[in-house]
Amino acid sequence: MEPLLRVEGLSKRFPQVVANDDLSLDVRRGEIHCLLGENGAGKTTLAECLYGFFKPDAGRIFFRGQPVRLSSPSDAIALGIGMVHQHFVLVPPLTVVENVVAGTPSAGVLLDLAGAKRDLETLCRKYGVDLDLEARVWQLSVGKQQWVEILKALYVGSELLILDEPTAVLTPQETDRFFATLRQMTREGLSILLITHKLNEVMQVSDRVTVLRKGRLVATVQTAEVTPADLARMMVGREVVFRIEREAIHRGEAVLEVEGLRALDDKGQPALRGVSFNLHRREILGVAGIAGNGQKELFEVLAGIRRAGQGQVRLQGASILNRSPGEIMARGVGHIPEDRIHEGLIPDFSVAENLVLGQQRSPLYRRGPFLDPERIAKFARTCVSSFDIATPTVRHPARFLSGGNLQKVILAREFGQCPQCLLANQPTRGLDVGVIEYVHRRLLEKRAEGVGILLASEDLEEILSLSDRVAVLFKGQIMGIFESSQASLEEIGLLMAGVRGETA
Amino acid sequence: MWTEILQGAILASIFASMIRLATPLLLAAMGEMIAERSGVLNLGVEGMMLMGAFSGFMVAYFSGSIWLGVLGAMLTGGLMGLIMAFMAITLKVEQIVTGMALNLLGSGVSLFWHRLLFNKTEEVNVATIQIFQPLRIPGLSDIPYLGEVFFSHRWLTYLAFALVPMIWFFLYRTKYGLEIRCVGENPRAIDVRGVNVARLQYLATIFGGLMAGVAGSFLTLAASPRFVPEISAGRGWLAIVIVIAGNWMPWRIMFAALLFAFLDAFQLHVQGVGVLIPYQILLAIPYVFAILAMMGSRARSEAPRHLGVPYLRE
Amino acid sequence: MTGTRRGLRFPYRLERRSDVGRWAQLAWLIVAIVAALIASGLLLLTAGADVVEAFGALFGGGFGGWREILETLVRATPLILTGLAAALAFRAKVWNIGGEGQLFAGAMAGYWAFTLFAGLPPVALFLVVIAAAAAGGAAVGWLAALLKTRFNVDEIISTVMMNYIVMFFLSLMLSGVGPWREQGSYYQQSAMLPESAQFLVLLPRSRLHVGFLLAVLAAMAIHILLTRTPLGYEIRAIGFNPTAARFKGTNVPKVMAVTLAISGALAGLAGAGELFGLQHRLVMDLSNGLGYTGIIVAMLANLHPLGVVLAAILFGGLTNGAFRLQVATGVPSAFTFAIQAIVLLFVISASILSSFRVRTVSDVD
Repeated sequence: MEPLLRVEGLSKRFPQVVANDDLSLDVRRGEIHCLLGENGAGKTTLAECLYGFFKPDAGRIFFRGQPVRLSSPSDAIALGIGMVHQHFVLVPPLTVVENVVAGTPSAGVLLDLAGAKRDLETLCRKYGVDLDLEARVWQLSVGKQQWVEILKALYVGSELLILDEPTAVLTPQETDRFFATLRQMTREGLSILLITHKLNEVMQVSDRVTVLRKGRLVATVQTAEVTPADLARMMVGREVVFRIEREAIHRGEAVLEVEGLRALDDKGQPALRGVSFNLHRREILGVAGIAGNGQKELFEVLAGIRRAGQGQVRLQGASILNRSPGEIMARGVGHIPEDRIHEGLIPDFSVAENLVLGQQRSPLYRRGPFLDPERIAKFARTCVSSFDIATPTVRHPARFLSGGNLQKVILAREFGQCPQCLLANQPTRGLDVGVIEYVHRRLLEKRAEGVGILLASEDLEEILSLSDRVAVLFKGQIMGIFESSQASLEEIGLLMAGVRGETA
Repeated sequence: MWTEILQGAILASIFASMIRLATPLLLAAMGEMIAERSGVLNLGVEGMMLMGAFSGFMVAYFSGSIWLGVLGAMLTGGLMGLIMAFMAITLKVEQIVTGMALNLLGSGVSLFWHRLLFNKTEEVNVATIQIFQPLRIPGLSDIPYLGEVFFSHRWLTYLAFALVPMIWFFLYRTKYGLEIRCVGENPRAIDVRGVNVARLQYLATIFGGLMAGVAGSFLTLAASPRFVPEISAGRGWLAIVIVIAGNWMPWRIMFAALLFAFLDAFQLHVQGVGVLIPYQILLAIPYVFAILAMMGSRARSEAPRHLGVPYLRE
Repeated sequence: MTGTRRGLRFPYRLERRSDVGRWAQLAWLIVAIVAALIASGLLLLTAGADVVEAFGALFGGGFGGWREILETLVRATPLILTGLAAALAFRAKVWNIGGEGQLFAGAMAGYWAFTLFAGLPPVALFLVVIAAAAAGGAAVGWLAALLKTRFNVDEIISTVMMNYIVMFFLSLMLSGVGPWREQGSYYQQSAMLPESAQFLVLLPRSRLHVGFLLAVLAAMAIHILLTRTPLGYEIRAIGFNPTAARFKGTNVPKVMAVTLAISGALAGLAGAGELFGLQHRLVMDLSNGLGYTGIIVAMLANLHPLGVVLAAILFGGLTNGAFRLQVATGVPSAFTFAIQAIVLLFVISASILSSFRVRTVSDVD
């Protein structure tokens, strides 16, 4: 039978890179088809082309056997192709109903919100989705927001649903439930193209999987006929080491003591509700948890960027609670922020200027009241060589560097300033496997040197393999701290969802 | 002073003036709100208002028809809105700078043409036109006090206030209003639905310019019969403040406009009553109030999240 | 960037390029200025003037001879300072639109200092006066910063409103009930300043005064500040990415306050120059939009302090030449304002266009 969607020889180029190079694949009716690849492999670009958001430079697309030309998402929607993006495209101040209805083709000029609400209630009942349709989106949890996104696609009658990394924001249990609902949808006739970089999900839920690497098609296979190792090899092109070599080190004395920390988020809601833990020298303490449960606020408080309302933070015995970022930096604490481009770097500054960010008033780089460009450049060149940063010169704007090299700039900067402890918030997000390995290696080196590292990551596997101990953060509270050798994925998953076990 | 002011006749006059003086502020603020709701921060309102005042006057002067004058003001404002839209949306230039440039353009061109046309003939202060007169509504206009306050205004004033519920309805009860509200908050949200974000922003910005032009025309075709350079005197800026103070919502903007107009009306009457406060201090009150009104973060809670940020489809 | 118009296929696409060469930018700048001149020429046509004759008078009046150039420099002096004021603030993405008000605040502060210390020897008086003017402008700038960081008042609004408020204050001081009005005069002006208080004239038979030197020195100082000092680093950092700067220890509110204070001080010095160096009398139209023109100058110069000097001289020439334009052709001198705004619009468009490349798109089947 003719597949629902067929793509032949699709290519898409951007000024700096070829995102998709001669791709061909097909999606059958009623199947869950995974699109697998590393970050930057071209998965999202392909999806955007299928959705009409981008126009391919070459290739043909067939839907229900007919060639189609998608010049905008409305064409795709009219055909029955819906897409849920990785980063939500919702309008927070508006209600769920308004969000679903906005931009949909309708007969008249007047809004019929009541009618739309009725239709949505039917859909929610059909798929067992529990959602307050009159709630404003900013009031909803991230998991529920995702359902709003899916409702948007279902409301306009999609037959093919493209989902881009939908489980990034779900706990393991929520993911299982989500997949169960997907299965039910396919039984009702929906076809699903699921974009992901997580191997275990591919194995769990897909019928077939197409692997992309650096914009090119590697293979399309039946999931039942491959192993994760096969897929990993196809994704990366070589044997991939799954587990990181972490030598057991005896951890040292406590370098950072946190007691009963309380703080508010940007909206004025409590984000940290009494967080307590100790970070020791020569250890990596992993912080597991879904984004939005207080990690950002925790790291910002520890780095001095955010005010804490209550509690105590001691570095080597001395209180650093609510001290300025400059003071905390001066005492030997490094901070790798979550968002490297917006929080960690100044893209329009040169690489050298970025490497001394925070140190601009230090006598190290000054001569009298003026900056000393020679010393700054020398320091920058040292960093570039010891961290293998790919840049033509240290005077080039950081804007031109790739994601991996940008992260190396931040590492170079922070590693030079953190003899006590290092706060690493999502240090490998969005990076290639090669750079991820590099970052892991350098972190472990730092650990061996005697630094205490606090590591937050969305990737549970990364946390479990890098950390000596794992703390689970849920709604601003530590649900439990385990030795990583004794932690089980299931137990941590439950804690991440707020389900306390007997140990609490 | 107070005993002199708190008399029925004076109060009625103050409130009537308030409604009249609110007209250009309200018209401009309504337009600016729509533009800002679509994510475009138009700081050129002052220049557009000035050009509207000038072109309205010019067209009326040379054609003899004040109705054509209003049309001319509208088109001028719309044209300047189009320039703003082109630079902000298509070229994605820094919106603040573009707005300032348009202010200066409006200032310069109106002054230039004014000097050109009227300096030569020594008609600078003599050039006047027959302006719009207040409408007389049979029965209602004759009610003591209330008649003066509510029922003796020019059609532009009634239009300005009638627009408030109309724009409210448009914004909250129609498809396009919903889309515009989305664009300012998260343009990507409706871009992925296939809606043409740029077109919405263009229309909203041009509308803003149009309204600023009409607002300006009120100054020279209704409020006073002549054009003087810089006749807008910062009202365009006040309109921007009013949008913020009104939290980007039509009814609140109306109240904010009335509040500013009240201050203006009050100081006018205080001057007339012959009080010993120097007129400069009285004139400064609205501007000081504008700063005071902006204090506090409460006022910014409804600011469109994407205001002033050019939208790039990545 | 393509608008998805129904039916209409747009065969071109603008793509952002990331490698903008210096020469490409310069080329676009020249294209912009030429286009602006053409557009201004059209405006002249509406005035019924002979375009060639008009431009000839304009540029001749600005740059045609030694005397014209000196006068142009006189006109450029305040523009350099207000341009620097805007450029510095804009570098930190602090939108100081209050140059006009800060200029007047500086002039008033300087005048007030003069009234207090009139007995001092000329050099000492000069130093006191410019210090006061700088302080006056700085105070207004600093107030805007305070309103922003403490009370969340947008600096665009506060600085524009303060422009009007400062003018009203000046009007009050020069009015019948004010202390500064010239005795026996009906005009809103102060008494003429004695020669001992006036700024030194640099070249005989010209009006070029010490203020020009001050302006050029200020330009060099600001350039060094921005490129070679930690404060300048932080100012630029805040302009590019205040979050990252904050994360790494920069006290953003403090830097903004210092920036606005310096910015206001520069504008204040412009006021002192116009008062003590040129008009020698405190009047309501001491400045005719010099603060706002300074913003255009800063934008034209791409916020570069040394570029500000060049752009200021260009605009000074236009201002100067406009007088000859009016005398020779009858075109109102207000033409300068129009041409300045037109030049700005074209230049900022060009700077964006220079970072794009046009590609033809072939249809995908």
